Amino acid sequence: MAGLKLQDVRKNFGAVEVIKGVDLEVEHGEFVVFVGPSGCGKSTLLRMVAGLEETTSGRIEIGGRLVNNVEPRDRGVAMVFQSYALYPHMSVYDNVGFGLKLAGTPRDERDAKIRAAARVLQMEHLLDRKPAQLSGGQRQRVAIGRAIVREPDVFLFDEPLSNLDAALRVDMRMELARLHTDLGATMIYVTHDQVEAMTLADKIVVLQGGIVQQVGSPLELYNRPANLFVAGFIGSPKMNFIEVTVDGTTNDGVRVANSLLASPALVGQRQGMAPSDTLTLGVRPHALQLDDTGPIGGAVTLVERLGNETIVRVRLDAATEITAALAGQREIALGEPVRLGFEPVDAHLFAADGRRL
Amino acid sequence: MTAAKPKAWLARLLLALLMTVTLLPFLSMFTAALAPSGSYPNGLSWPDDPQWNNFVKAFEAANMGQLLLSSTLIVLGVVPISVLAATMAGYGLAKLTGGRNKWIYLVFVAGLTLPFEAVITPLYYEVRAFGLLNTRFAIILPLIGLYMPFSVYWMRAHFLNVPNDLTEAAQLDGATRWKEFWLVQVPLARPAIMSLTILLFLWTWNQFLLPVVLVRDPSLRTMAGALGAFQGQWGTDVPLLCAGSLLILAPTVLLFLVFQRHFVAALLQGSVKG
Ligand SMILES: Nc1ncnc2c1ncn2[C@@H]1O[C@H](COP(=O)(O)OP(=O)(O)OP(=O)(O)O)[C@@H](O)[C@H]1O
Ligand SMILES: [Mg+2]
Repeated sequence: MAGLKLQDVRKNFGAVEVIKGVDLEVEHGEFVVFVGPSGCGKSTLLRMVAGLEETTSGRIEIGGRLVNNVEPRDRGVAMVFQSYALYPHMSVYDNVGFGLKLAGTPRDERDAKIRAAARVLQMEHLLDRKPAQLSGGQRQRVAIGRAIVREPDVFLFDEPLSNLDAALRVDMRMELARLHTDLGATMIYVTHDQVEAMTLADKIVVLQGGIVQQVGSPLELYNRPANLFVAGFIGSPKMNFIEVTVDGTTNDGVRVANSLLASPALVGQRQGMAPSDTLTLGVRPHALQLDDTGPIGGAVTLVERLGNETIVRVRLDAATEITAALAGQREIALGEPVRLGFEPVDAHLFAADGRRL
Repeated sequence: MTAAKPKAWLARLLLALLMTVTLLPFLSMFTAALAPSGSYPNGLSWPDDPQWNNFVKAFEAANMGQLLLSSTLIVLGVVPISVLAATMAGYGLAKLTGGRNKWIYLVFVAGLTLPFEAVITPLYYEVRAFGLLNTRFAIILPLIGLYMPFSVYWMRAHFLNVPNDLTEAAQLDGATRWKEFWLVQVPLARPAIMSLTILLFLWTWNQFLLPVVLVRDPSLRTMAGALGAFQGQWGTDVPLLCAGSLLILAPTVLLFLVFQRHFVAALLQGSVKG
């Protein structure tokens, strides 16, 4: 039973500050995903929680206990590494049981726990093998098994699926979700794959440049991104951004215009702006529909037919292209002019400093 | 397939050539050892009347039984301690010293550049000051010291290649440094430890200069070291000298043959690790 609390946590590597003051609270049993671009400090933050990286300043509490100066082995955490980090000279059985053996768990109790973990992860038939004799997915299972037998308070995962192929990744993702439900343990998961983040998380922490950009449930982040970075990072294909100026307000919202837009667009939002402010309009590809009177118009430069949807790129001018994900299979030809529109509530406006209005 | 064949033949031919070049001196020693005692055998001619008895004579003359025991004692005194110390130091230097302490390892590299012959005279006075002259410790202690630079360097190179993830996984699994070292690092280092052990064994067994300088009593020396005294006594008897040399060689060859299989197996185990 343990939550996790970070207070103004910072990390310097020499003179370089990598984690720049992170505050975070994780409830017991939550599945929290750290997501962000490469080099943003996800792994570093996770390793600080594990105790593998010293904390330069700030407080880290696990289950209400300050652990800044506690050795990794005494923090009650288990970690699954991207490289799996299995002990090559030990069988799967011994790999999984190593922690229990070190803890002095009696042999029969240890055996029972190892076999229980193997059953959960469907790897009972692999127990006698060495890591070198396993496939990537099987190694990953062993690494997870090694973590679960120790019944830690907090599970830490650092991009555990990134070495697997796409199909296996989807399978393992579902298994992890099931495992989380079964164990009810607190899990912290690092990934730069936003689909993984969206599907697994109770709570997503978006990091960039060592700063938390937003914390929230997947849908909160999708529906109400706090800033341009989060808006662009969460959701696939990426949200479209167009620079616009405020043209006027109506009962339904604010009217924004731009020379690129075929006609002024209506956004269901009225606060925090003044006439003729320069803002950024954000519209998700999935919010766009074909609409002969819509504000966005241009020629089609790319069509991707996925079966369930059709992705089109539309060129507004030499420098600006918009992506639209249209439901179903559409007869659209390259070069064809199209008009696109969106519901006012589906659009987002961002101030010049990137904050969402 | 067809293109690979001539290449394979060429490779085999080269290997055969190298083998001949390596084995020829031993072969000539062997034929010489079978010549009548006191004669001057020349070249590679098989003697008309092979004197197998020469081996027995050489064994007795050089007191081989005694030397075998002495050599074994010296090897047992040198090799395990050297390997243990080097493994620990190598691990420490590779994994536990970072940042400001990195230079420590350079001290060992400096030790590598020291020619053995350059320290032999100071060593003599030092050993004498310790009162160890003419004891086996006069061979054992300096050898351990002299082996350290290479052995530490060797083990450090191995430990540098062990991913840090393994250390971290062990730490999170609840291992102390000590436990991690013995339960994870040492088993993984087996190939490196094995090859170091074999090398140190060979070097100790074949140690010649140090025993000759530091120990006067041949029965306290290593076998190869005893060769010096042996030669003085039988200065002109080439066949006996050859027979004695072959007898001295025999244990190393034998041990190498036995260990070679472990050696190869250990190396293979390392190379397929996930
Ligand atoms: N030991 C170190 N010494 C110096 N700088 C480091 C060290 N480890 C990480 N960094 C730096 O800290 C920053 C964050 O690294 P981190 O590994 O946490 O990124 P990440 O978000 O996990 O990226 P990725 O998705 O590529 O794994 C990077 O700029 C990296 O160069
Ligand atoms: Mg990382």
